Amino acid sequence: MKKKRIASKILWVLSILTLIFLWSPMILVIVYSFSNNKYGSSWEGFTLKWYAKLISNDQVRDALMRSLIVAGVTVVVSTLIGTITAYGLYKLDFKGKQFLRTSILLPIVFPSVVTGSALLVFFTRLVHIPLGYPSIIIAHIVFCSPLAVFIILGRMQRFDWSWEEAALDLGATPARTFLRVTGPQLLPAIMASAMLIFPWSFDDFVITYFVAGVGSTTLPIYVFSQLRFGSTPVINTIGTLFVTTTMLGLFLVHLIQRMHTGNHTRKGTN
Amino acid sequence: MSGLNADSNANQSDICLELKDVVKQFPGVTAVDHISLEIEEGEIFSFLGPSGCGKSTLLRIVAGLENQDQGDVLIGGKLVNDLPPYKRDCSTVFQSHALFPHMTVFDNIGFGLVERKIPKPEIKQRVQNKINLVNLGGMEDRFPHQLSGGQMQRVALARSLVLEPTVLLLDEPLAALDRKLRKEMQVELKRIQREVGTTFLNVTHDQKEALSLSDRIAVMKKGKLLQIGTPDEIYETPHTRFVASFMGASNIFSGRVVGARDGMLTFKSDVGLQVALPESNDIPADQITGFSVHPELIDLSPEGADTPAACSATDVSLPGTIKEVFYLGDFSEMSVKIDDADINLTVYMTRGWSGPKMKMAEGQRVVALWSAASMNLLVD
Repeated sequence: MKKKRIASKILWVLSILTLIFLWSPMILVIVYSFSNNKYGSSWEGFTLKWYAKLISNDQVRDALMRSLIVAGVTVVVSTLIGTITAYGLYKLDFKGKQFLRTSILLPIVFPSVVTGSALLVFFTRLVHIPLGYPSIIIAHIVFCSPLAVFIILGRMQRFDWSWEEAALDLGATPARTFLRVTGPQLLPAIMASAMLIFPWSFDDFVITYFVAGVGSTTLPIYVFSQLRFGSTPVINTIGTLFVTTTMLGLFLVHLIQRMHTGNHTRKGTN
Repeated sequence: MSGLNADSNANQSDICLELKDVVKQFPGVTAVDHISLEIEEGEIFSFLGPSGCGKSTLLRIVAGLENQDQGDVLIGGKLVNDLPPYKRDCSTVFQSHALFPHMTVFDNIGFGLVERKIPKPEIKQRVQNKINLVNLGGMEDRFPHQLSGGQMQRVALARSLVLEPTVLLLDEPLAALDRKLRKEMQVELKRIQREVGTTFLNVTHDQKEALSLSDRIAVMKKGKLLQIGTPDEIYETPHTRFVASFMGASNIFSGRVVGARDGMLTFKSDVGLQVALPESNDIPADQITGFSVHPELIDLSPEGADTPAACSATDVSLPGTIKEVFYLGDFSEMSVKIDDADINLTVYMTRGWSGPKMKMAEGQRVVALWSAASMNLLVD
């Protein structure tokens, strides 16, 4: 009994240490982004001037807009591709289905450096896609769609397909069935994948760095380029921006999932 | 094809569903094996059989959710072989209810009407009408997860009935409900069917449910139709060993007819029992392979007691010993070992039994007695 209590105490301490280790850099970045210190590396009183500087900096605003556009397009196209692919992988029977299903994992497990350099060669030597928006967006779709496929496929496996049969039976064509029944049922999964894909695309550095070309600076690339001149407090504010967007996305995913499982448990108790 | 259509329209206006030589193969099994039958308008027809007998597959073929490999399906005299489910004039109540979880009760019931582009006021009126029919007044705005099992069942029923289909297909509609609710819904189903007059095609593995609910029953086994008949025909005169035992006739004797005398057939069973069977017009003597007796048709009297008055020369009476007694409240199930033969009779005795007032116990010597008329001839 006593032994158990000691073990759980040790575990508790270790967990706290791990959390501190993981969180302290991010918390420091957020705290220092409000600090008056001109190197952004110690606390010298509260200020919002770095945020003002961030907003007035044309380069930052440019990079932020570019990142938002890329992430926005990527989210829409990736979830669309993901939904269609998952539906096909689940519903259709064809030769090589298992192979295709496994190979979709590749962009997730491949090292970003490999994917990035492969895409660069592909874009410049083989298909001649101009570097900039087109190349960045295509590259992001390549590594983001698999995520959507897997999230939506996972939902489909827990799906009661008799809903679809019932809709057909009640007179809805396959297209109408998807619109009125299957689609709405998949919406939570589609939303969840969108919420995860947005930060993925928004803070990707490695792959984007390879395919961005000259002049198409996204926010992560801008941050990297600024680090050559040493850390500035503006970087801290951008870091804060990244952390909060990602956290917001995760929070929304959590919320959607809670709403969803909430429905299920209520159904169970009735 | 069109000639066939015209033909069935002309001759069989009251046949609302017809299956002609329908076959469905799955890898390794024949789920539906050359089935032909006709279902009349306004009846409750049940496919009855153990799980895996092909009854659900047959229902799905009628609905269009499964395609037959061979044969024709006619709904309301119209050939529907090539029609997808959304163009067939039938509707299914699924075992899992399959209600749309993101829609209210009202929207669930109105789903099919919206697909048929019915004007909104009419949808409202027709849905409300069916909500009243299934006693769900006041539940219009609830979501499926806020309903009990029985209420979900009613929504599923209303959702199909509101389309006024030629045939309503019910796939084990009561299997998901608990026993008390099942009984209640059974009564409800029958009331609703009588009220709307729609033909119900029901699939079940529960023989009691089939007996009490149906106008006619088709017993199935391994994709084949074994017997079609009214509930009392199926229960009292099963033709085959399988139907007899599935309907609860636990006393089945195999053997053959060895002679005839005074309009009675002399039957010799494999275990040495010899009885006189009444002749049947339907079954030739040389095809008889056995007979069955329902346990509730056998009387037990203590050995040595006076022979009951009703006893005639053709009745069968066999001495034996009670081996086991299962007390079940409303009746007792007894297992009686017959002397000098490898026979264990199952006998049901109600407490209102008219014989000598005595306690039947294990080890008791008895005479088992049944009349010639209670024996049912089997052909396989």
